[in-house]
Amino acid sequence: MKNKYSVVGTRIAGLDEKDKVLGNVVFAEDFTLPGLIYGKVFRSTRASARIKALDVSKARSLPGVVCVLTAEDVPNNESVKNVVGQTTEVGLLEAEHQVLARERVRYWGEAIALVAAESLDVARDALKLIEVEYEELPAVFDPLEAMKPDAPKIHGNNNVIASWKLRKGDVEQGFAQADVIVENTYRTPRQEHAHIEPESGVAWVDDMGVINVRYAAQVIEHYRDIATVLGVPESLVRVIGTLIGGGFGGKEDVTVEVFLALMAWKTGRPVKLTFTREEMGYARHKRHPYVLKYKTGATKEGKLVALEAQIVSDAGAYVYLSPWVLIYSTVHSTGPYLIPNVKVDANSVLTNNIMTSAFRGFGGMQVVAAYEAQMDELAEKLRLDPVALRARNFLKKGDVTASYQEITSEVWLEKCARAVLDALGPKSKGGKTTKVGRGLACAWQSYGRMTYLHDTSNCWVNLEMDGSAVLRTGIPDLGGGQRESVRAIAAEVLGLNVEEIHVISTDSQVTPLSGTVTATRALYMSGNAAKLASENVKKIITDKAAEVLGVAADSLDLKDHRVVVIDDPRKNIPLVEAIKQCHFEGKIPQSLATFRAPFTEPIHSDVIKDPVFPDFTFGAQAAEVEVDVETGEVKVLKWATAYDIGQAINVNRVEGQMEGGVAQGLGFGLMEDYLEVEGVPWTWNFHDYIIPTSKDVPDIKSIVLESGSGKGPFGAKGIGEPAISAAGPAAANAIKDAIGVRITHLPITAERIFFALRGEKG
Amino acid sequence: MGDFRFFRPTALEELLDFKAREGGKARILDGGSNVLVYINEGSIAGGTLVDVKSLEAIKGIEERDGRLEIGAGELIADIMDSGLIRKKVPFLREVLQKFANPLVRNMATLAGNIADSSPIGDTVPPLLVLGAEVVAASAKGERVIPLEKFFTGPGQNVLRPEEVILKVRFPVPEEGGGGHVKLGLRRGTSCSVASVAVWVIADKGKVRDIRISLGGVAPTPIRAHKTEDAFKGQSLDWDRIAELSETVMSEIRPITDVRGSADYRKHVSAGLLAKAVRQALGLEESR
Amino acid sequence: MSERDDNGLYDICIKVNDRELRGKVKAETSLLDFLRANNHTEVKRGCDKGDCGACTVIKDGRAILSCITLALQADGSKVYTVKSLGSWEKMHPLQQAFVDYEALQCGFCTPGMLMSAKALLDANPKPTRAEIREAISGNLCRCTGYQKIVDAVEAVARGEYR
Repeated sequence: MKNKYSVVGTRIAGLDEKDKVLGNVVFAEDFTLPGLIYGKVFRSTRASARIKALDVSKARSLPGVVCVLTAEDVPNNESVKNVVGQTTEVGLLEAEHQVLARERVRYWGEAIALVAAESLDVARDALKLIEVEYEELPAVFDPLEAMKPDAPKIHGNNNVIASWKLRKGDVEQGFAQADVIVENTYRTPRQEHAHIEPESGVAWVDDMGVINVRYAAQVIEHYRDIATVLGVPESLVRVIGTLIGGGFGGKEDVTVEVFLALMAWKTGRPVKLTFTREEMGYARHKRHPYVLKYKTGATKEGKLVALEAQIVSDAGAYVYLSPWVLIYSTVHSTGPYLIPNVKVDANSVLTNNIMTSAFRGFGGMQVVAAYEAQMDELAEKLRLDPVALRARNFLKKGDVTASYQEITSEVWLEKCARAVLDALGPKSKGGKTTKVGRGLACAWQSYGRMTYLHDTSNCWVNLEMDGSAVLRTGIPDLGGGQRESVRAIAAEVLGLNVEEIHVISTDSQVTPLSGTVTATRALYMSGNAAKLASENVKKIITDKAAEVLGVAADSLDLKDHRVVVIDDPRKNIPLVEAIKQCHFEGKIPQSLATFRAPFTEPIHSDVIKDPVFPDFTFGAQAAEVEVDVETGEVKVLKWATAYDIGQAINVNRVEGQMEGGVAQGLGFGLMEDYLEVEGVPWTWNFHDYIIPTSKDVPDIKSIVLESGSGKGPFGAKGIGEPAISAAGPAAANAIKDAIGVRITHLPITAERIFFALRGEKG
Repeated sequence: MGDFRFFRPTALEELLDFKAREGGKARILDGGSNVLVYINEGSIAGGTLVDVKSLEAIKGIEERDGRLEIGAGELIADIMDSGLIRKKVPFLREVLQKFANPLVRNMATLAGNIADSSPIGDTVPPLLVLGAEVVAASAKGERVIPLEKFFTGPGQNVLRPEEVILKVRFPVPEEGGGGHVKLGLRRGTSCSVASVAVWVIADKGKVRDIRISLGGVAPTPIRAHKTEDAFKGQSLDWDRIAELSETVMSEIRPITDVRGSADYRKHVSAGLLAKAVRQALGLEESR
Repeated sequence: MSERDDNGLYDICIKVNDRELRGKVKAETSLLDFLRANNHTEVKRGCDKGDCGACTVIKDGRAILSCITLALQADGSKVYTVKSLGSWEKMHPLQQAFVDYEALQCGFCTPGMLMSAKALLDANPKPTRAEIREAISGNLCRCTGYQKIVDAVEAVARGEYR
């Protein structure tokens, strides 16, 4: 499909990239101020305990220590609201969170006190002087155990903190029609974000009494949470978001900002706090591990007739976003397939494990491990080609899902599936001790936040006198090129080069709030807001130029710094001329625009029967792997990934997201598992928690398909989260193809394969 | 943070005198790659950090009296680049190619890996099958320690506090071939789950001599003498190798840890040994 | 080699990007900490344990991990960081290739990644893709999946940026 745009849809070398390769970017930890002091967090070394005694006096009196803070020092330490740290105005669940543990700790690593000192060394020494006496309390670490009525309670009197269901048709009747039924229980790992940049920031109180926090934030709206905790007006808290060194949801919930604000506010000094890699291991939230029991039935022609599933997620010790993650799982649990009879029961359960919350895929990812394995198992039993079976059941535009949402975009799943299998090329040959297999996985993932959250995004664009432009957007950039996208969109609409648009972003008091960089919403929301604002500015210009040229305003376009008559480009005036005329009449070419996602009512029952998401992205991945049957080791030989992303804004970036998603998803499938034993962390650094290196990821073929049917700017769809969820399942299916044994426990490690080959449960 | 000092001796006597005075409180930074990790963890609280990079006495890769001698201060990257090593014992180069990653290879030394005395120190099993010895020195003189007698437990060895490793040496292998297999959890840098090295001297598949060493399956890297005896004199083909390799399971005492279960280590060791023997005999490509 | 002063500090002098950098450090101060405290925040801290490669610099011709190197081990050495490669007006071919091929997203691993790539091309001007992957195997990237990084280095090796 030929690209019809000048900027959008090309491969754009971004300006931010230039700053990055030159080493010019001031990331969160790179920033300093005169008089800076250093913060450290004192953390629990028990998974479940009452704090009998806490003595910080020795730490306080250590020379060089500026403050030691405990729960007593926090004005509003406990919060009971929907979910701490999200821009939510509507709530469904009362969940307790605490800034610093007051009486009780519920997971190993929970924050108990804060120390700020003149140097990092003194701060570390002060931590060692804090004395705490614990009284261990009963604990529970298995979510299935935690669901039982006599299990120790983490909060309140029920560990089940969220339940969602799908009900469609009648599964008993459905299974009665099935010629083949496949039943399996799948387990997915507790995955760590493992972004290379640690959580970090600097806070200070400025000369106007505003508490400034400059940190790596996926959500700058956390200034509201800071204000709530400190008991100060929201107007006196400012969050400056830095370019983030990787987020993936790990910098979405509250990270360092509340701690930093407390210390800066209490001491009057600028404070820096950076989490160590170990702290990032044992004190930061993870992806929910899931247990997924799936029963799927199909006719011998390969039509899916029924799905019954029970899904349990480990919510860890605090609720955070677990209920929302579960909604995603429930809605996506069927896979991108039309199934007439569906019964899904999903529960999220508290335990004394590390908290679990947002992570790229957000609940839509774990279910792929179940539904795509089920499809391959069905295909095998039915002796049908895996693509043919899926193609017989893919959702189509106009279909209604089991959560009663109509699919309004094109669904190019079959195209994607065939494209990736073709792209693998001829199959590699195995050897005496190696077997080669190929696997396919198809997936769907929403983009845009849940519509009952009434998401909006603002953007301000203005044209300078000389025809250059300034774009102000609150959207944070976590490496996905959010800033470059809005720049490209404005350039396209205004007929400028990307270099002529300066983007100033991510400052809660200087740039209009554009919402979070989460939920694959950035392009959809802030991109549409940027487009809207740019179009408003364009209209001001074209209205004026229409007068000057004596034509209708809608016959004009902005191209190459000129306002041209579309059908007769020789008729035009320079852009700067039009700008000058606008200013002369007081019609300043600027616009602050708000883009609104569809607004729906809150989900009012635990059976999801209403549209929840604006739209979905559909795609497929295929992997070829080689398994060494003597050791169980897997070598990934080839990979292909294909997504219909509606319309690419920057092709480089789209491929980049897809390729990054492959690597991170491959890790989920084959090697990543954050382990805790009785709540005690085992894999708390890069030495023991292993992520794919350049030798673990093969060359990847990326196929970008553009149906133009997205709700984002120019018909774009989001790609950030969709890019990851099919990867692990593709590897799992490839392993099954290689060795003939289905391993249902991810990550599929060599040890699991080794024992599976020998007929033992791994 | 502890109380640390720094010392960079320019001559060997300076170093040995210092060690005689300070003993274990003087820590040699062969490549230095692990010391800072231990300091940050708090497992070393104080003492003197000794940078030996200017010491000529511990540099050099030479052939002498039928042995290859590698100075304690030689970086793994340089050992790999050494023409002498490539010519006389390309097996060692293949082994070192799998060690960690290029950045670590630019910093680490064989002596450092040995002195660390980890049960999974990746350079040790290959050196054991090469019949390596450690030459240690103190102010009182030198002594030669067979590598097989060097380790006493995880992280523990027979080096006295006043001793430093001068060099590692092994006989130039005149006949036979080596095999080395490392089992990790990913293709990139990884701590081994287990590793096996062998040196086999065979005539048309019949074993005249064999040395087998394993890492990660006992408190120290070990030589598997029982299994070696089982192999000696045998005529090897693919199936016989697999059969005989099972013997090794009874000689090892693996544990369960974050990287794998004891059961896996036990059973997979047989497979790793089979692979290594096939490699040594040229029945399989180097992994 | 200086003596320890009364504050427990040693004099140190390292040539960083061809300019002398003098200071005072403790025995156990890492090269990374010394660089970052002295206006070289372009060298990143990812793990402080040598596991991620974000802190990679070139010291005496070799790419090494500055977080597990003592500053004093680099006393008298020549150290190069990403800032030695190029400037806004004249970028190093590797830098330009990284931008053109989108061999970075968040950019946090990039300074270290570029130094490993530079060290590779200095030693081996025409590496295979497998050799490129080996050379950067100590540099973790969570964003790109490594694909475009390998593409960019290969492009430079192929002569696309002469």
